Amino acid sequence: MGDEVDSYRFTSRATTRIARAWIKREADPARLIPWTPLTKPLSESTIALISSAGVALKEDRPFDQQGERQNPWRGDPSFRVASNQTTTEDIQVGHLHINKRYAEQDMNSVFPIQRLGELAEQGEMGRAAAEHYSIMGYILDPTELLRETVPQIIAGLRAGEVDGVVLVPV
Amino acid sequence: MGLVQREMEAAGFSTISLSPMPEWTAAAGVPRIAAIEHPFGQTIGRPGDVAGQTAVLRATLAALAEIEEPGTIRHLPFRWTGPEPEEGPAPPIVELISRRPWLYRKLLAGDIPAA
Repeated sequence: MGDEVDSYRFTSRATTRIARAWIKREADPARLIPWTPLTKPLSESTIALISSAGVALKEDRPFDQQGERQNPWRGDPSFRVASNQTTTEDIQVGHLHINKRYAEQDMNSVFPIQRLGELAEQGEMGRAAAEHYSIMGYILDPTELLRETVPQIIAGLRAGEVDGVVLVPV
Repeated sequence: MGLVQREMEAAGFSTISLSPMPEWTAAAGVPRIAAIEHPFGQTIGRPGDVAGQTAVLRATLAALAEIEEPGTIRHLPFRWTGPEPEEGPAPPIVELISRRPWLYRKLLAGDIPAA
């Protein structure tokens, strides 16, 4: 066991092979990496969370799993909003590629809204954003996600005067 | 999520991915990664492990504030101490490919059929 994280510690052989093929295709060392430095100390920054676990409020529309069962190449590219008061009791998980049991037992395993609130209360960071966002991470063709969903989330981050974003892929 | 992160950073937010698959996340060309060797579906930590979840989130926020070089991967020092994760049911794409094995090549090649 080295000091570096093994990206394939928990993947099957088939998944590893697919991941390596996609990585080879996607990697482009010449591509410019966008960069926005955090201009305030963490203790004054507002932080929002984005989870790809397919978390929706129970009162909200669940992520569309039936559509993916009908067309397994297409996952639901929409998003859902949670608040900084949302708890595990409030949510449902719609994601056919993870074991949902863990998130249903404790949302913080994939969407750490309570943990973020506690760190803010303890003064370790400025403020938890009023809104946090979830998408469902199985998206093979990102066209619609990038065209429809991401601009709406970005508008929400702006409206919430967010400084920093923690993305939690699952 | 890597492409989503790029869009947000370009829109003026400082972003970090807490990724259990840092090689894949990095391939998208993202500004900051906190790499974590946790199983899928439990990226932050085991259900109910408040102390562990807090430590991981705290380390991620520290990396967000401290990383100065675009494209940096910070490997977090946490190791999985929980039970080996249980897999969920096979997703529809796996069932489809087991019925039509020739489609595996399409998935491998990223040749995604239009809806």
